[in-house]
Amino acid sequence: MITIDTLTHIYPGSRKTPARAAISALSLDIKDGEFVILSGPNGSGKSTLFRILCGLALPSSGSVRVGGFDLFAQPAKVREIMGVVFQSPAVDKHLSVGENLAIHADLYGLRGAAFTASRDEAVGWTDLGDRLDQKVETLSGGLARQVELAKVLMTNPRILLLDEPTTGLDPVSRRNFLAALHKLQKQRGMTVLMTSHVFSEADDVDRVAIMREGKLLAFDTPQALKAMIGTEMVVIHAKDTEGLAGRLRADMGLAVRVIGDEVRLEETENGESLPLLERILNRYRPDILTISIKQPGLDDVFVHVTSKAVPDHALTLDLKRTGT
Amino acid sequence: MSSLSRVAYSLARREFTRFIRQKQRVIGTVAQPLLFWLFLGAGFAGSFRPAGMENVTYLEYFYPGVMLMMMLFASIFSSITIIEDRDAGFLQGVLVAPVSRLAIVLGKVLGATAIAMVQTLIFTLAAPFLGLHLGFGSLVMLLAAFLLTGIGFSALGFLLAWGMKTTSAFHAVMMVFLMPLWMLSGALFPLGNVPAAMKVVMLANPVSHALIIIRAPFYAGPQTLLADSSYLLSLAVTIAWAVLCLGLSMARVEKREKGVAL
Repeated sequence: MITIDTLTHIYPGSRKTPARAAISALSLDIKDGEFVILSGPNGSGKSTLFRILCGLALPSSGSVRVGGFDLFAQPAKVREIMGVVFQSPAVDKHLSVGENLAIHADLYGLRGAAFTASRDEAVGWTDLGDRLDQKVETLSGGLARQVELAKVLMTNPRILLLDEPTTGLDPVSRRNFLAALHKLQKQRGMTVLMTSHVFSEADDVDRVAIMREGKLLAFDTPQALKAMIGTEMVVIHAKDTEGLAGRLRADMGLAVRVIGDEVRLEETENGESLPLLERILNRYRPDILTISIKQPGLDDVFVHVTSKAVPDHALTLDLKRTGT
Repeated sequence: MSSLSRVAYSLARREFTRFIRQKQRVIGTVAQPLLFWLFLGAGFAGSFRPAGMENVTYLEYFYPGVMLMMMLFASIFSSITIIEDRDAGFLQGVLVAPVSRLAIVLGKVLGATAIAMVQTLIFTLAAPFLGLHLGFGSLVMLLAAFLLTGIGFSALGFLLAWGMKTTSAFHAVMMVFLMPLWMLSGALFPLGNVPAAMKVVMLANPVSHALIIIRAPFYAGPQTLLADSSYLLSLAVTIAWAVLCLGLSMARVEKREKGVAL
Protein backbone atom coordinates (compact mmCIF):
# COMPACT_ATOMS: atom_id res chain seq x y z
CA MET A 1 0.00 0.00 0.00
CA ILE A 2 2.91 2.32 0.82
CA THR A 3 6.20 1.42 -0.85
CA ILE A 4 9.17 3.61 -0.05
CA ASP A 5 12.21 2.86 -2.19
CA THR A 6 15.73 4.16 -1.38
CA LEU A 7 14.45 7.50 -0.23
CA THR A 8 17.01 10.19 0.53
CA HIS A 9 16.32 13.70 1.73
CA ILE A 10 19.05 16.26 2.19
CA TYR A 11 18.35 19.68 3.65
CA PRO A 12 20.33 22.41 1.96
CA GLY A 13 23.11 23.87 4.08
CA SER A 14 23.81 27.54 4.62
CA ARG A 15 27.06 29.39 5.25
CA LYS A 16 27.01 28.38 8.90
CA THR A 17 25.55 24.88 8.70
CA PRO A 18 26.56 22.13 6.26
CA ALA A 19 23.94 20.27 4.23
CA ARG A 20 22.35 17.58 6.35
CA ALA A 21 20.87 14.24 5.31
CA ALA A 22 17.63 13.74 7.22
CA ILE A 23 16.83 10.47 5.44
CA SER A 24 19.39 8.27 3.76
CA ALA A 25 18.49 5.46 1.35
CA LEU A 26 15.46 4.37 3.35
CA SER A 27 13.26 1.57 2.01
CA LEU A 28 10.05 0.41 3.66
CA ASP A 29 7.06 -1.55 2.46
CA ILE A 30 3.73 -1.33 4.25
CA LYS A 31 1.06 -3.84 3.24
CA ASP A 32 -2.59 -3.19 2.64
CA GLY A 33 -4.55 -3.05 5.89
CA GLU A 34 -1.48 -3.00 8.11
CA PHE A 35 -1.15 -0.89 11.25
CA VAL A 36 2.44 0.33 11.48
CA ILE A 37 4.09 2.52 14.09
CA LEU A 38 7.10 4.53 13.05
CA SER A 39 9.40 5.45 15.86
CA GLY A 40 12.78 6.96 16.45
CA PRO A 41 14.62 9.42 18.67
CA ASN A 42 14.30 13.16 18.09
CA GLY A 43 16.06 14.16 14.90
CA SER A 44 15.85 10.65 13.44
CA GLY A 45 14.12 11.88 10.28
CA LYS A 46 10.58 10.77 11.22
CA SER A 47 9.07 14.17 10.71
CA THR A 48 10.81 14.67 7.40
CA LEU A 49 9.57 11.28 6.24
CA PHE A 50 6.08 12.21 7.36
CA ARG A 51 6.17 15.51 5.46
CA ILE A 52 7.27 13.67 2.33
CA LEU A 53 4.61 10.99 2.70
CA CYS A 54 1.79 13.48 3.02
CA GLY A 55 3.05 15.27 -0.06
CA LEU A 56 4.28 18.50 1.54
CA ALA A 57 7.92 18.03 0.58
CA LEU A 58 9.88 16.43 -2.24
CA PRO A 59 12.90 14.24 -1.45
CA SER A 60 16.37 14.52 -2.95
CA SER A 61 16.01 11.10 -4.53
CA GLY A 62 14.09 7.85 -4.32
CA SER A 63 10.47 6.99 -4.95
CA VAL A 64 7.28 6.49 -2.97
CA ARG A 65 4.20 4.69 -4.27
CA VAL A 66 0.97 5.03 -2.34
CA GLY A 67 -2.03 2.89 -3.29
CA GLY A 68 -0.44 2.24 -6.67
CA PHE A 69 0.21 5.91 -7.48
CA ASP A 70 3.54 7.65 -7.70
CA LEU A 71 3.40 10.17 -4.87
CA PHE A 72 5.65 12.69 -6.58
CA ALA A 73 4.21 12.49 -10.09
CA GLN A 74 0.52 12.15 -9.12
CA PRO A 75 0.11 13.88 -5.76
CA ALA A 76 -3.55 14.72 -6.49
CA LYS A 77 -4.42 11.01 -6.88
CA VAL A 78 -2.74 10.14 -3.61
CA ARG A 79 -4.45 13.00 -1.75
CA GLU A 80 -7.81 11.50 -2.64
CA ILE A 81 -7.20 8.22 -0.82
CA MET A 82 -5.17 9.53 2.08
CA GLY A 83 -6.15 11.06 5.40
CA VAL A 84 -3.62 12.92 7.53
CA VAL A 85 -3.71 13.71 11.24
CA PHE A 86 -1.04 16.25 12.13
CA GLN A 87 0.72 16.78 15.40
CA SER A 88 -0.71 20.29 15.65
CA PRO A 89 -4.40 19.83 14.79
CA ALA A 90 -5.39 21.21 11.39
CA VAL A 91 -8.57 22.84 12.61
CA ASP A 92 -9.71 26.44 12.81
CA LYS A 93 -10.07 27.10 16.53
CA HIS A 94 -12.27 30.13 15.97
CA LEU A 95 -14.93 28.08 14.21
CA SER A 96 -17.32 25.55 15.68
CA VAL A 97 -16.83 21.80 15.43
CA GLY A 98 -19.63 21.58 12.86
CA GLU A 99 -18.14 24.39 10.75
CA ASN A 100 -14.76 22.70 10.73
CA LEU A 101 -16.32 19.44 9.61
CA ALA A 102 -18.28 21.25 6.90
CA ILE A 103 -15.14 22.89 5.49
CA HIS A 104 -13.37 19.54 5.51
CA ALA A 105 -16.29 17.98 3.67
CA ASP A 106 -16.12 20.72 1.04
CA LEU A 107 -12.42 20.08 0.57
CA TYR A 108 -13.13 16.40 -0.07
CA GLY A 109 -16.19 16.95 -2.24
CA LEU A 110 -18.69 15.55 0.27
CA ARG A 111 -22.04 17.28 0.22
CA GLY A 112 -25.73 17.04 0.96
CA ALA A 113 -27.06 13.82 2.44
CA ALA A 114 -23.73 12.02 1.96
CA PHE A 115 -22.06 14.70 4.09
CA THR A 116 -24.63 14.52 6.87
CA ALA A 117 -24.47 10.73 6.95
CA SER A 118 -20.67 10.51 7.06
CA ARG A 119 -20.47 13.35 9.54
CA ASP A 120 -22.88 11.65 11.91
CA GLU A 121 -21.03 8.36 11.56
CA ALA A 122 -17.64 9.99 12.16
CA VAL A 123 -18.93 11.94 15.15
CA GLY A 124 -20.39 8.69 16.48
CA TRP A 125 -16.82 7.44 16.92
CA THR A 126 -16.04 10.37 19.20
CA ASP A 127 -17.50 12.13 22.23
CA LEU A 128 -18.40 15.17 20.16
CA GLY A 129 -22.05 14.27 19.60
CA ASP A 130 -23.57 17.23 21.45
CA ARG A 131 -20.77 19.67 20.80
CA LEU A 132 -21.13 20.44 17.10
CA ASP A 133 -22.04 24.07 17.82
CA GLN A 134 -19.17 24.67 20.22
CA LYS A 135 -16.09 26.54 19.05
CA VAL A 136 -13.02 24.33 18.94
CA GLU A 137 -11.07 26.75 21.17
CA THR A 138 -13.49 26.01 24.02
CA LEU A 139 -12.83 22.26 23.88
CA SER A 140 -10.26 20.35 25.94
CA GLY A 141 -7.11 19.05 24.26
CA GLY A 142 -8.51 15.55 24.04
CA LEU A 143 -11.76 16.65 22.45
CA ALA A 144 -9.93 18.93 20.01
CA ARG A 145 -7.94 15.89 18.91
CA GLN A 146 -11.18 14.03 18.38
CA VAL A 147 -12.33 16.78 16.03
CA GLU A 148 -9.25 16.03 13.97
CA LEU A 149 -10.01 12.32 14.01
CA ALA A 150 -13.68 12.86 13.13
CA LYS A 151 -12.61 15.08 10.23
CA VAL A 152 -10.37 12.42 8.79
CA LEU A 153 -12.84 9.58 9.33
CA MET A 154 -15.60 11.44 7.54
CA THR A 155 -13.86 11.06 4.21
CA ASN A 156 -13.18 7.34 4.74
CA PRO A 157 -9.55 7.26 3.61
CA ARG A 158 -7.88 4.01 2.57
CA ILE A 159 -4.65 5.19 4.10
CA LEU A 160 -4.32 7.12 7.32
CA LEU A 161 -1.13 8.91 8.36
CA LEU A 162 -0.88 10.17 11.93
CA ASP A 163 1.96 12.26 13.36
CA GLU A 164 2.25 11.72 17.12
CA PRO A 165 -1.49 12.13 17.50
CA THR A 166 -1.53 11.45 21.24
CA THR A 167 0.94 14.20 22.18
CA GLY A 168 -0.46 16.28 25.00
CA LEU A 169 -3.27 13.90 25.88
CA ASP A 170 -3.84 12.56 29.37
CA PRO A 171 -3.61 8.76 29.74
CA VAL A 172 -7.38 8.23 29.59
CA SER A 173 -7.88 10.36 26.48
CA ARG A 174 -4.88 8.66 24.91
CA ARG A 175 -6.32 5.23 25.54
CA ASN A 176 -9.73 6.21 24.19
CA PHE A 177 -8.20 7.73 21.10
CA LEU A 178 -6.13 4.62 20.38
CA ALA A 179 -9.00 2.25 21.10
CA ALA A 180 -11.20 4.10 18.60
CA LEU A 181 -8.38 4.11 16.08
CA HIS A 182 -7.71 0.38 16.38
CA LYS A 183 -11.37 -0.56 16.18
CA LEU A 184 -11.84 1.58 13.11
CA GLN A 185 -8.74 0.33 11.42
CA LYS A 186 -9.97 -3.26 11.78
CA GLN A 187 -13.50 -2.47 10.74
CA ARG A 188 -12.57 -0.48 7.65
CA GLY A 189 -9.40 -2.33 6.76
CA MET A 190 -7.48 0.94 6.65
CA THR A 191 -3.73 1.04 6.27
CA VAL A 192 -2.40 3.11 9.16
CA LEU A 193 1.04 4.62 9.62
CA MET A 194 1.50 6.46 12.88
CA THR A 195 4.61 8.06 14.32
CA SER A 196 4.91 7.74 18.06
CA HIS A 197 7.32 7.98 20.96
CA VAL A 198 5.08 6.12 23.35
CA PHE A 199 5.75 2.42 23.25
CA SER A 200 2.76 1.35 25.20
CA GLU A 201 0.94 2.34 22.01
CA ALA A 202 2.95 -0.08 19.91
CA ASP A 203 2.18 -3.38 21.59
CA ASP A 204 -0.92 -4.29 19.62
CA VAL A 205 0.07 -3.01 16.18
CA ASP A 206 1.13 -5.18 13.26
CA ARG A 207 4.65 -3.91 12.81
CA VAL A 208 6.97 -1.36 14.32
CA ALA A 209 9.61 0.53 12.34
CA ILE A 210 12.48 2.14 14.22
CA MET A 211 14.56 4.88 12.61
CA ARG A 212 17.73 6.60 13.64
CA GLU A 213 19.77 9.21 11.78
CA GLY A 214 17.66 8.78 8.69
CA LYS A 215 18.09 5.03 8.44
CA LEU A 216 15.71 2.19 9.16
CA LEU A 217 17.21 0.14 12.00
CA ALA A 218 14.44 -2.37 12.55
CA PHE A 219 11.05 -3.17 11.06
CA ASP A 220 9.20 -6.15 12.49
CA THR A 221 6.30 -7.33 14.63
CA PRO A 222 6.39 -6.25 18.29
CA GLN A 223 6.93 -9.91 19.32
CA ALA A 224 9.89 -10.41 17.01
CA LEU A 225 11.45 -7.16 18.17
CA LYS A 226 11.15 -8.11 21.82
CA ALA A 227 12.70 -11.50 21.07
CA MET A 228 15.77 -9.62 19.76
CA ILE A 229 16.90 -8.79 23.28
CA GLY A 230 16.48 -12.12 25.04
CA THR A 231 13.58 -12.90 27.30
CA GLU A 232 14.56 -11.15 30.50
CA MET A 233 17.09 -8.63 31.65
CA VAL A 234 18.73 -7.44 34.82
CA VAL A 235 18.75 -3.68 35.29
CA ILE A 236 21.03 -2.03 37.86
CA HIS A 237 21.18 1.56 39.07
CA ALA A 238 24.59 2.08 40.62
CA LYS A 239 26.38 4.86 42.49
CA ASP A 240 29.10 4.78 39.82
CA THR A 241 27.56 3.42 36.66
CA GLU A 242 30.67 3.15 34.49
CA GLY A 243 32.78 1.81 37.35
CA LEU A 244 30.38 -0.98 38.19
CA ALA A 245 29.92 -1.92 34.53
CA GLY A 246 33.70 -2.18 34.15
CA ARG A 247 34.01 -4.43 37.17
CA LEU A 248 31.12 -6.66 36.08
CA ARG A 249 32.87 -7.13 32.76
CA ALA A 250 36.31 -7.74 34.26
CA ASP A 251 35.44 -9.74 37.39
CA MET A 252 32.43 -11.73 36.24
CA GLY A 253 32.84 -11.76 32.44
CA LEU A 254 29.36 -10.41 31.91
CA ALA A 255 28.28 -8.70 28.66
CA VAL A 256 26.84 -5.58 30.25
CA ARG A 257 25.84 -2.36 28.53
CA VAL A 258 25.52 1.10 29.95
CA ILE A 259 22.44 2.90 28.76
CA GLY A 260 21.89 6.30 30.32
CA ASP A 261 22.29 5.82 34.06
CA GLU A 262 21.50 2.11 33.92
CA VAL A 263 23.73 -0.95 33.72
CA ARG A 264 21.93 -3.64 31.73
CA LEU A 265 22.38 -7.36 31.22
CA GLU A 266 20.13 -7.87 28.25
CA GLU A 267 20.69 -11.36 26.91
CA THR A 268 19.67 -13.39 29.90
CA GLU A 269 17.85 -16.70 29.47
CA ASN A 270 14.65 -17.35 31.41
CA GLY A 271 15.32 -18.59 34.93
CA GLU A 272 18.95 -17.44 34.97
CA SER A 273 18.18 -13.91 36.00
CA LEU A 274 17.41 -14.52 39.64
CA PRO A 275 20.61 -16.47 40.50
CA LEU A 276 22.60 -13.90 38.53
CA LEU A 277 20.95 -11.07 40.43
CA GLU A 278 21.84 -12.76 43.72
CA ARG A 279 25.47 -13.22 42.70
CA ILE A 280 25.82 -9.61 41.68
CA LEU A 281 24.09 -8.38 44.81
CA ASN A 282 26.34 -10.47 47.09
CA ARG A 283 29.46 -9.14 45.52
CA TYR A 284 28.66 -5.45 44.89
CA ARG A 285 25.91 -4.63 47.39
CA PRO A 286 27.47 -1.32 48.61
CA ASP A 287 27.73 0.03 45.03
CA ILE A 288 24.16 -0.75 44.03
CA LEU A 289 21.21 1.58 44.51
CA THR A 290 18.56 -0.64 42.92
CA ILE A 291 18.61 -3.90 41.00
CA SER A 292 15.70 -5.55 39.23
CA ILE A 293 14.62 -8.18 36.71
CA LYS A 294 12.65 -6.81 33.82
CA GLN A 295 10.62 -8.33 31.01
CA PRO A 296 11.70 -6.47 27.90
CA GLY A 297 9.11 -4.09 26.51
CA LEU A 298 9.19 -2.22 23.25
CA ASP A 299 10.83 0.75 24.90
CA ASP A 300 13.73 -1.54 25.80
CA VAL A 301 13.91 -2.67 22.18
CA PHE A 302 13.98 0.96 21.18
CA VAL A 303 16.82 1.74 23.58
CA HIS A 304 18.67 -1.40 22.50
CA VAL A 305 18.37 -0.69 18.79
CA THR A 306 18.92 3.04 18.76
CA SER A 307 21.90 3.11 21.13
CA LYS A 308 23.93 0.42 19.35
CA ALA A 309 26.34 2.77 17.67
CA VAL A 310 26.80 5.68 20.00
CA PRO A 311 26.97 8.94 18.07
CA ASP A 312 30.12 11.06 18.46
CA HIS A 313 28.63 13.84 20.52
CA ALA A 314 27.28 11.34 23.09
CA LEU A 315 30.75 9.80 23.40
CA THR A 316 32.41 13.09 24.21
CA LEU A 317 29.70 13.78 26.76
CA ASP A 318 30.37 10.47 28.47
CA LEU A 319 34.11 11.12 28.51
CA LYS A 320 33.56 14.44 30.17
CA ARG A 321 31.32 12.88 32.75
CA THR A 322 33.83 10.21 33.74
CA GLY A 323 36.61 12.83 33.80
CA THR A 324 35.00 14.94 36.50
CA MET B 1 -11.25 16.38 -7.33
CA SER B 2 -13.76 18.72 -5.74
CA SER B 3 -14.96 21.48 -7.94
CA LEU B 4 -12.80 24.56 -7.84
CA SER B 5 -15.58 27.02 -7.12
CA ARG B 6 -17.03 25.05 -4.24
CA VAL B 7 -13.71 24.74 -2.45
CA ALA B 8 -12.83 28.38 -3.08
CA TYR B 9 -16.26 29.45 -1.84
CA SER B 10 -15.99 27.31 1.28
CA LEU B 11 -12.56 28.72 2.15
CA ALA B 12 -13.60 32.29 1.35
CA ARG B 13 -16.69 31.94 3.53
CA ARG B 14 -14.45 30.85 6.39
CA GLU B 15 -12.44 34.09 6.03
CA PHE B 16 -15.58 36.16 6.09
CA THR B 17 -17.10 34.33 9.07
CA ARG B 18 -13.94 34.87 11.06
CA PHE B 19 -13.91 38.56 10.15
CA ILE B 20 -17.54 39.17 11.09
CA ARG B 21 -17.06 37.48 14.47
CA GLN B 22 -14.30 39.93 15.41
CA LYS B 23 -16.30 43.04 16.21
CA GLN B 24 -13.26 45.20 17.00
CA ARG B 25 -11.72 44.33 13.65
CA VAL B 26 -14.90 45.35 11.82
CA ILE B 27 -15.18 48.66 13.67
CA GLY B 28 -11.47 49.45 13.51
CA THR B 29 -11.09 48.86 9.81
CA VAL B 30 -14.01 51.13 8.95
CA ALA B 31 -13.35 53.84 11.53
CA GLN B 32 -9.63 54.28 10.87
CA PRO B 33 -9.83 55.33 7.20
CA LEU B 34 -12.89 57.44 7.97
CA LEU B 35 -10.97 59.43 10.58
CA PHE B 36 -7.98 59.61 8.25
CA TRP B 37 -10.17 61.05 5.54
CA LEU B 38 -11.99 63.57 7.75
CA PHE B 39 -8.87 64.88 9.47
CA LEU B 40 -6.67 65.13 6.38
CA GLY B 41 -9.58 66.45 4.39
CA ALA B 42 -10.25 69.19 6.92
CA GLY B 43 -6.55 70.01 7.33
CA PHE B 44 -5.73 70.36 3.65
CA ALA B 45 -9.01 72.01 2.69
CA GLY B 46 -7.48 75.51 2.64
CA SER B 47 -4.25 74.78 0.80
CA PHE B 48 -5.54 72.40 -1.89
CA ARG B 49 -5.77 74.42 -5.12
CA PRO B 50 -4.39 72.36 -8.04
CA ALA B 51 -4.69 73.91 -11.52
CA GLY B 52 -7.88 72.87 -13.29
CA MET B 53 -9.54 71.51 -10.13
CA GLU B 54 -10.85 74.71 -8.63
CA ASN B 55 -14.27 73.23 -7.97
CA VAL B 56 -13.01 70.15 -6.16
CA THR B 57 -12.60 70.25 -2.38
CA TYR B 58 -9.78 68.22 -0.89
CA LEU B 59 -12.34 66.09 0.94
CA GLU B 60 -13.78 65.15 -2.43
CA TYR B 61 -10.41 64.70 -4.12
CA PHE B 62 -9.18 62.44 -1.36
CA TYR B 63 -12.41 60.39 -1.20
CA PRO B 64 -11.53 57.79 -3.89
CA GLY B 65 -7.99 57.78 -2.49
CA VAL B 66 -9.33 56.64 0.87
CA MET B 67 -11.46 54.02 -0.86
CA LEU B 68 -8.35 52.77 -2.59
CA MET B 69 -6.53 52.72 0.72
CA MET B 70 -9.32 50.69 2.28
CA MET B 71 -9.38 48.19 -0.57
CA LEU B 72 -5.61 47.93 -0.62
CA PHE B 73 -4.91 47.58 3.05
CA ALA B 74 -7.96 45.59 4.05
CA SER B 75 -7.42 43.03 1.31
CA ILE B 76 -3.71 42.73 1.97
CA PHE B 77 -4.15 42.49 5.72
CA SER B 78 -6.81 39.85 5.31
CA SER B 79 -4.78 37.73 2.96
CA ILE B 80 -1.71 37.72 5.19
CA THR B 81 -3.74 35.69 7.68
CA ILE B 82 -2.22 32.85 5.66
CA ILE B 83 0.72 33.22 8.07
CA GLU B 84 -1.60 32.57 11.03
CA ASP B 85 -3.22 29.68 9.19
CA ARG B 86 0.14 28.05 8.72
CA ASP B 87 1.09 28.69 12.34
CA ALA B 88 -2.17 27.37 13.74
CA GLY B 89 -1.99 24.23 11.62
CA PHE B 90 -5.11 24.88 9.56
CA LEU B 91 -3.18 25.35 6.33
CA GLN B 92 -1.49 21.94 6.36
CA GLY B 93 -4.90 20.28 6.43
CA VAL B 94 -5.91 22.22 3.34
CA LEU B 95 -2.66 21.45 1.54
CA VAL B 96 -3.03 17.68 1.92
CA ALA B 97 -6.64 17.77 0.71
CA PRO B 98 -7.37 16.74 -2.87
CA VAL B 99 -8.07 20.27 -4.05
CA SER B 100 -6.59 22.34 -6.85
CA ARG B 101 -3.91 24.72 -5.66
CA LEU B 102 -5.70 27.55 -7.43
CA ALA B 103 -8.73 26.92 -5.18
CA ILE B 104 -6.52 27.43 -2.12
CA VAL B 105 -5.30 30.78 -3.47
CA LEU B 106 -8.76 31.87 -4.61
CA GLY B 107 -10.32 30.95 -1.27
CA LYS B 108 -7.99 33.30 0.56
CA VAL B 109 -8.02 36.03 -2.10
CA LEU B 110 -11.79 36.14 -2.60
CA GLY B 111 -12.40 36.03 1.15
CA ALA B 112 -10.02 38.95 1.64
CA THR B 113 -11.60 40.85 -1.26
CA ALA B 114 -15.09 40.33 0.15
CA ILE B 115 -13.99 41.66 3.54
CA ALA B 116 -12.37 44.72 1.94
CA MET B 117 -15.42 45.37 -0.23
CA VAL B 118 -17.85 45.32 2.67
CA GLN B 119 -15.78 47.94 4.46
CA THR B 120 -15.37 50.10 1.40
CA LEU B 121 -19.05 49.90 0.52
CA ILE B 122 -19.96 51.21 3.96
CA PHE B 123 -17.67 54.13 3.22
CA THR B 124 -19.38 54.62 -0.16
CA LEU B 125 -22.46 55.76 1.75
CA ALA B 126 -20.66 59.08 2.29
CA ALA B 127 -20.76 59.91 -1.44
CA PRO B 128 -24.05 61.87 -1.42
CA PHE B 129 -22.72 64.18 1.30
CA LEU B 130 -19.97 65.24 -1.08
CA GLY B 131 -22.49 65.95 -3.79
CA LEU B 132 -21.34 62.90 -5.75
CA HIS B 133 -24.11 60.87 -7.31
CA LEU B 134 -23.68 57.40 -8.65
CA GLY B 135 -26.03 56.08 -11.29
CA PHE B 136 -26.69 52.35 -11.48
CA GLY B 137 -24.18 51.86 -14.30
CA SER B 138 -21.50 53.81 -12.46
CA LEU B 139 -22.13 51.83 -9.29
CA VAL B 140 -21.56 48.60 -11.21
CA MET B 141 -18.33 50.05 -12.64
CA LEU B 142 -17.25 51.08 -9.14
CA LEU B 143 -17.96 47.60 -7.75
CA ALA B 144 -16.00 46.03 -10.59
CA ALA B 145 -13.09 48.36 -9.81
CA PHE B 146 -13.22 47.35 -6.12
CA LEU B 147 -13.34 43.68 -7.06
CA LEU B 148 -10.36 43.85 -9.43
CA THR B 149 -8.31 45.94 -7.02
CA GLY B 150 -9.15 43.60 -4.16
CA ILE B 151 -8.21 40.48 -6.09
CA GLY B 152 -4.94 41.93 -7.39
CA PHE B 153 -3.71 43.22 -4.07
CA SER B 154 -4.90 40.41 -1.84
CA ALA B 155 -3.12 38.06 -4.24
CA LEU B 156 -0.02 40.25 -3.84
CA GLY B 157 -0.41 40.00 -0.06
CA PHE B 158 -0.75 36.22 -0.37
CA LEU B 159 2.35 36.01 -2.51
CA LEU B 160 4.43 38.13 -0.11
CA ALA B 161 3.14 36.36 2.99
CA TRP B 162 3.42 32.77 1.76
CA GLY B 163 7.05 32.26 2.72
CA MET B 164 7.00 34.44 5.84
CA LYS B 165 7.11 33.06 9.35
CA THR B 166 5.70 36.01 11.27
CA THR B 167 3.38 38.90 10.55
CA SER B 168 5.90 41.41 11.90
CA ALA B 169 8.14 40.85 8.86
CA PHE B 170 5.13 41.60 6.75
CA HIS B 171 4.47 44.93 8.45
CA ALA B 172 8.00 46.03 7.57
CA VAL B 173 7.45 45.20 3.89
CA MET B 174 4.18 47.02 4.07
CA MET B 175 5.66 50.29 5.34
CA VAL B 176 8.62 50.50 2.95
CA PHE B 177 6.92 49.11 -0.13
CA LEU B 178 3.15 49.32 -0.17
CA MET B 179 2.65 52.61 1.66
CA PRO B 180 4.87 54.52 -0.83
CA LEU B 181 3.04 52.88 -3.74
CA TRP B 182 -0.21 54.21 -2.36
CA MET B 183 1.24 57.68 -1.75
CA LEU B 184 2.64 57.80 -5.28
CA SER B 185 -0.64 56.71 -6.83
CA GLY B 186 -2.30 60.11 -6.87
CA ALA B 187 -4.47 59.21 -3.91
CA LEU B 188 -3.07 62.01 -1.74
CA PHE B 189 -2.20 64.62 -4.38
CA PRO B 190 -2.72 64.96 -8.16
CA LEU B 191 -0.07 63.56 -10.49
CA GLY B 192 0.08 66.81 -12.49
CA ASN B 193 2.38 68.89 -10.29
CA VAL B 194 5.28 66.52 -9.66
CA PRO B 195 8.70 66.18 -11.34
CA ALA B 196 8.82 64.09 -14.52
CA ALA B 197 10.87 61.30 -12.97
CA MET B 198 8.36 60.81 -10.21
CA LYS B 199 5.58 60.84 -12.75
CA VAL B 200 7.10 57.83 -14.52
CA VAL B 201 7.13 55.98 -11.23
CA MET B 202 3.51 56.91 -10.69
CA LEU B 203 2.45 55.58 -14.08
CA ALA B 204 4.35 52.32 -13.71
CA ASN B 205 2.66 51.86 -10.35
CA PRO B 206 -0.29 49.44 -10.51
CA VAL B 207 -1.87 51.26 -7.57
CA SER B 208 -2.21 54.45 -9.70
CA HIS B 209 -4.25 52.54 -12.26
CA ALA B 210 -6.46 51.06 -9.58
CA LEU B 211 -7.10 54.61 -8.35
CA ILE B 212 -8.08 55.76 -11.85
CA ILE B 213 -10.72 53.07 -12.26
CA ILE B 214 -12.07 53.73 -8.76
CA ARG B 215 -12.26 57.51 -9.21
CA ALA B 216 -13.66 57.59 -12.74
CA PRO B 217 -17.19 56.18 -12.08
CA PHE B 218 -17.94 59.15 -9.78
CA TYR B 219 -17.52 61.56 -12.68
CA ALA B 220 -18.74 59.69 -15.77
CA GLY B 221 -21.17 57.01 -16.85
CA PRO B 222 -20.22 53.60 -18.27
CA GLN B 223 -20.63 54.68 -21.90
CA THR B 224 -18.22 57.57 -21.60
CA LEU B 225 -15.72 55.50 -19.63
CA LEU B 226 -15.69 52.51 -21.95
CA ALA B 227 -14.88 54.85 -24.83
CA ASP B 228 -12.03 56.52 -22.96
CA SER B 229 -8.63 55.06 -23.85
CA SER B 230 -6.85 56.11 -20.66
CA TYR B 231 -9.60 54.49 -18.55
CA LEU B 232 -9.39 51.33 -20.65
CA LEU B 233 -5.62 51.26 -20.27
CA SER B 234 -5.92 51.46 -16.47
CA LEU B 235 -8.62 48.79 -16.49
CA ALA B 236 -6.39 46.52 -18.57
CA VAL B 237 -3.40 47.12 -16.27
CA THR B 238 -5.49 46.31 -13.19
CA ILE B 239 -6.82 43.10 -14.73
CA ALA B 240 -3.34 42.07 -15.87
CA TRP B 241 -2.01 42.79 -12.38
CA ALA B 242 -4.67 40.58 -10.79
CA VAL B 243 -4.01 37.72 -13.22
CA LEU B 244 -0.26 38.01 -12.71
CA CYS B 245 -0.45 37.97 -8.91
CA LEU B 246 -2.94 35.07 -8.91
CA GLY B 247 -0.75 33.07 -11.27
CA LEU B 248 2.40 33.70 -9.23
CA SER B 249 0.60 32.80 -6.01
CA MET B 250 -0.63 29.55 -7.47
CA ALA B 251 2.85 28.65 -8.70
CA ARG B 252 4.15 29.41 -5.21
CA VAL B 253 1.64 27.08 -3.53
CA GLU B 254 2.29 24.40 -6.14
CA LYS B 255 5.99 24.42 -5.39
CA ARG B 256 6.94 21.88 -2.74
CA GLU B 257 10.06 22.30 -0.65
CA LYS B 258 12.63 19.96 -2.19
CA GLY B 259 15.65 18.21 -0.76
CA VAL B 260 18.95 19.01 -2.47
CA ALA B 261 21.00 16.51 -4.45
CA LEU B 262 24.13 14.99 -3.00
